[in-house]
Amino acid sequence: MSLPAIPKPLARVVGILPAFPVSFAFSAAGNLAAWPTLRELDWSEVRGRRFCVRVRDLGLAFYFSVGPRGFVPEVAQSADVTFTATAEDFARLALRLEDPDTLFFNRRLLIEGDTDLGLRVKNMLDGVELETLLRRLPLGLGRVLLSLRERALQPA
Amino acid sequence: MKLSLGPLLYYWSREDTFAFYEAAAGWPVDAVYLGETVCSRRHTLRLPDWFSLAEKLAAAGKAVVLSSQALIESESDLKQLRKIARNGRFLVEANDFGAVRLLAEAGVPFVAGPTLNAYNPDTLALLHELGAVRWVPPVEMPARMLAAMPVPAGMATELFAYGRLPLAFSARCFTARHYNLQKDDCQFKCLDHPDGLTLRTREGAAFLTLNGIQTQSARIYSLAHRLDELRAAGVTWLRLSPQSQRMAQVVAVFHELITGTLAPAEAPARLARLMPGEPCDGYWLGQAGLDWQPERAAALQS
Amino acid sequence: MPALLELICPAGSLPALKAAVDGGADGVYLGFKNNTNARNFSGLNFDDAAIAAGVDYAHGKGRKVLLALNTYPQPGEVARWQQAVDRAAELKLDAVILADPGLMAYAVKRHPDLRLHLSVQGSATSYEAINFYRERFNIQRAVLPRVLSLAQVETVASNTEVELELFGFGGLCVMVEGRCLLSSYATGDSPNTCGVCSPAHAVRWQQTPKGMESRLNGVLIDRYADDEKAGYPTLCKGRFEVQGETYYALEEPTSLNTLALLPEMARLGIAAIKIEGRQRSPAYVAQVTGVWRAAIDAVKRDAEAYRVEPAWHSQLDRVSEGSMHTLGAYYRPWK
Repeated sequence: MSLPAIPKPLARVVGILPAFPVSFAFSAAGNLAAWPTLRELDWSEVRGRRFCVRVRDLGLAFYFSVGPRGFVPEVAQSADVTFTATAEDFARLALRLEDPDTLFFNRRLLIEGDTDLGLRVKNMLDGVELETLLRRLPLGLGRVLLSLRERALQPA
Repeated sequence: MKLSLGPLLYYWSREDTFAFYEAAAGWPVDAVYLGETVCSRRHTLRLPDWFSLAEKLAAAGKAVVLSSQALIESESDLKQLRKIARNGRFLVEANDFGAVRLLAEAGVPFVAGPTLNAYNPDTLALLHELGAVRWVPPVEMPARMLAAMPVPAGMATELFAYGRLPLAFSARCFTARHYNLQKDDCQFKCLDHPDGLTLRTREGAAFLTLNGIQTQSARIYSLAHRLDELRAAGVTWLRLSPQSQRMAQVVAVFHELITGTLAPAEAPARLARLMPGEPCDGYWLGQAGLDWQPERAAALQS
Repeated sequence: MPALLELICPAGSLPALKAAVDGGADGVYLGFKNNTNARNFSGLNFDDAAIAAGVDYAHGKGRKVLLALNTYPQPGEVARWQQAVDRAAELKLDAVILADPGLMAYAVKRHPDLRLHLSVQGSATSYEAINFYRERFNIQRAVLPRVLSLAQVETVASNTEVELELFGFGGLCVMVEGRCLLSSYATGDSPNTCGVCSPAHAVRWQQTPKGMESRLNGVLIDRYADDEKAGYPTLCKGRFEVQGETYYALEEPTSLNTLALLPEMARLGIAAIKIEGRQRSPAYVAQVTGVWRAAIDAVKRDAEAYRVEPAWHSQLDRVSEGSMHTLGAYYRPWK
């Protein structure tokens, strides 16, 4: 039931990257991959709020907000709400292999700051159909991720 | 404005209970609610004892109301409820829709208690149609909501205006749990806590009160300083909830208040010396119940 | 044939609804995006398009859709609840789950064919109360608060013709639903009026030198050491101090799990088993629905031979708060 591990050397390299380019790259990747689906959600309550996604094991933090055309990287290293987890747990959440509350109860997912904002986004993302999102991914990535998900769902 | 002495929410010894009501017969309250509303295991007074107290208080000129249990679980709870509903002499406070059914069936008028959850005009009208002559809004109802309720003609509004707020009922007994006892073998530990057991946060702030299966606020809800707002919202009865000490003085303060010999603004200072805890009035303001903002005016219109 | 052990699963979103249907739920329950239901959380629940798609999906597979309208309408806003009832009738939903008698009166008058269920928020714990709603509003089913022992459930069952629905799994209310104001005492928002308990807007988690603290409107609900599992600061599941002792004074952060009681529930003729958790993700719904479908099928096949499979417990415990479960009030010593 596990996803492929992140190689340690990679973790070391990305951990020392400067902050803004990382947020920029994250936002750009998000816009390319997920925004075509996520744009259909009602983001009006979330506009102008700043998010931080912190990947614990990689030592990475992405700062961004959500604008009319997608994710916008933020220079300032502060956020209204911060989500912290490992890369694998974020991946498992994204592929619906894991329930966020379960990770939260186990201290594997941390939500700091404006809890209501954090749960709103969690609930909004839960409302997205995974298949639709994956189907729209570029470069055939969706098929790869789907097969990873299928594999992870197989009993060990 | 009239005063009522609400049902005794705690569990006291037989002697203390009788002494309390003997004194209450001489207090300036218009109505007295009697009976066990919290836990069916409590038995220092049995139903016949409550009936005889009712007779005594009626003879002393009090309007007596028999309160029914809020959480009905067993067939013996229902037996007790039927006896109360069919007592044929005293008004009954229905604290559960099972009680409403029995009272409506018997065709007798009743008081709709706070746990019936009458939050809107339709439900209130229905209760009136079924025989309710007085209603007690849910204790969390803010001034704004109460003022917006069209109360049917012939129905009086009685508000919980003083005392620890009854906030929740459970199947579980939290007092027994505190002593690592099962509810069925609770050793009647409630007797040791005549004003309940205080529950504090890990920072030491008094937060709630454990009273058997009931959870109350730790703070004392008090709306004495808001007499004008209460009148403006259509309240005609103030319910004062019994505490083990200095209840006579609490009643006296409210009596001075409604007869105009005490200015509402003076009430908090007088009551502070009589309360077994800090005050609160947040519910009336539409805020967290535990807030205390005596200077702030309640909105009576939305 | 009367309903027996229908599996009723939660849906806070369309993907969750599909997960429930695909996993074998006989019915799903859901709510609109406002305070007409008791899971009025930001970003959760169904708008008009989602509910229409959900009804198509479920009905297409022969499953039921129930609408939770289980908060209490308030003066000046009653129309919002009434419109929700109208909408349920238009959408041909299989039932609406109501708590407020005034709203039931409206539903019965306007939509006599709409099936009414009494919500757990209606706090009906006795057959006298349930029969009140039956006589006045012709309710077809009642969801019982999680306070009765199974013996008490049996007494209710044998004194009413109303179908009974029991909670089978999920977050556990230790208080009688519909009669708990702890949340509004601390935050101003209650399940009855706002459809929330311990609302997220009042929640703050903060790492401190003493551990991670969870607060509700400033009130310290609990503090966790680094190695301790955390809970959402639902205020009945915090650690507090009573007479110098700090412990879970009201209830541990634990989940109700009644798999072991299924044969007994079948014997009592319980019409439906409800799974809690509309606020949980589609992943939770999929996992829990799958386990309960298997268990209910097993008990219906042969109640005598029914055994709780260890794998079921471990799958359910994984998604449970505190990773623990209890039989709750159904098992009398819990009280």
